Amino acid sequence: MPYDDPDPSDPSMLVGVTAPGTADSTRAMAAVFADEFARLGHPAHEIFGLFENPHYGGPHAALRALGPLAVLAIVREAVARWPVVRIVDAARKEED
Amino acid sequence: MAPVHNWQLGREMAYPYAPAYPERQFAFVFNINRCIACQSCTMACKSTWTFSKGQEHMWWANVETKPYGGYPQSWDVKILEQLERANPGGQVWRGSPGNDPQAPYGRFEGQTIFEAVERLPEPGSSRVLGYLPADDEWNSPNIWEDNPVGQRGAPRTYDAEGVSLPTHKTWFFYLARICNHCSYPACLAACPRGAIYKRPEDGIVLIDQEQCRGYRKCVEACPYKKSIYRGNTRTSEKCVACYPRIEGRDPESNGQPLETRCMAACIGQIRMQGLVKMSRDGTWAEDRYNPLYYLVHVAKVALPLYPQFGTEPNGYYIPPRWVPVDYLHQMFGPGVEQALERYARPDRELLAVLQLFRRSNRIIFRYELQEGPKLYETTIAGHPFTVYNDTVIAYGRDGDEIFRTQVDEPLHVRPPQHQNSI
Repeated sequence: MPYDDPDPSDPSMLVGVTAPGTADSTRAMAAVFADEFARLGHPAHEIFGLFENPHYGGPHAALRALGPLAVLAIVREAVARWPVVRIVDAARKEED
Repeated sequence: MAPVHNWQLGREMAYPYAPAYPERQFAFVFNINRCIACQSCTMACKSTWTFSKGQEHMWWANVETKPYGGYPQSWDVKILEQLERANPGGQVWRGSPGNDPQAPYGRFEGQTIFEAVERLPEPGSSRVLGYLPADDEWNSPNIWEDNPVGQRGAPRTYDAEGVSLPTHKTWFFYLARICNHCSYPACLAACPRGAIYKRPEDGIVLIDQEQCRGYRKCVEACPYKKSIYRGNTRTSEKCVACYPRIEGRDPESNGQPLETRCMAACIGQIRMQGLVKMSRDGTWAEDRYNPLYYLVHVAKVALPLYPQFGTEPNGYYIPPRWVPVDYLHQMFGPGVEQALERYARPDRELLAVLQLFRRSNRIIFRYELQEGPKLYETTIAGHPFTVYNDTVIAYGRDGDEIFRTQVDEPLHVRPPQHQNSI
């Protein structure tokens, strides 16, 4: 363990400091969340449900910052970007 | 001081030794967008090289959470502050990224760590601007990075009203780091005993343990803090780039160059490492179908880490696309906007080359593309985007095929009886 606790007055000690973000970075972050789940084959309503769920702090914060319509557009775009997800299930036959 | 050309800065700079470049250079590309900080790389390195007594604090490979974290703590913030103090307001870039191989990111008008040391009000004995981290800055990598620290004045306690804490409005990403085996190593420049050398065959930077006396000038000078002092041997040690693997002397390799342990262990498939051809002037020789050359100089999606330090690091990063551009600009230089744009909407070749990451542990020297059928059309940010199922083939040092893979990669579902098996 370090010998000292973090010193809040130390300008080099960034612990607990909110790094500035912008609307653009929130939008980009939301797009990344949506992309990740779209690539796993989740449909739009499931991904949007993730944003609505307050227990998923990051996506939900984006929903509150950007509004549901903007998030819905982001989700729809992500799903459209990955329209084909090929799933190989060894226990069953290959399916699309 | 001798004038050398630093192509990442687009200009000549002062360096304590005359220019000398290897035949090939150890280099790597990390795709930050894929890193999940699983620390597999960290542990692969630890269990190979730094598991002995006296090396407990030593992590040649580490992954830190940016912007808060650092190993040692606040290493980059501290060196950036030092440079700003030496050259207030002057750490700026001019021009814009282009196709000039001598200045692909424009021109850096500020001071490097080799130049700024001359401007200190009280010059010391150091040849390089730097600082020596305190013991406690090394001792706890990742401390407080991903953990709630509790209320001020009551650290390491749970907040009884935790549910009412404000929502974090922030961003972060994981930065995986090893020694950059720089073209102008600060550790080498600073060593008063000449104990540090750069190998002419592959550019790997090593500390001669017979020559080192543990003065720690390299620890002070390396801006990336990848030279680390070991108390019980009274010498400094650093990443050796797993050189037996690079040389093809690993028992697994059958004489073929293998990527390092940290690369091979990467389950997120963020890492690719290779040996790039060097020109006599210190730039990368054109090698169009070497995947590292392609990512750095053709697609220009991979950028050097803190190029303004002036060491010409050979570690390149595909920047994370959700992070504010100002921060990325400080960390990776002026090529960030273009890199993000190209990565978000990759062309056909880039999409194929990105499939090369971690399909094999052997070093890829060349790739070849075979066009495949169109899979589908879609749009990205309003732009039309077509995905083709192209095949990309990787070749080794001797020109033999290592593997071939395709753009279309299925998701494999584990059978129920093997859900938790490794």
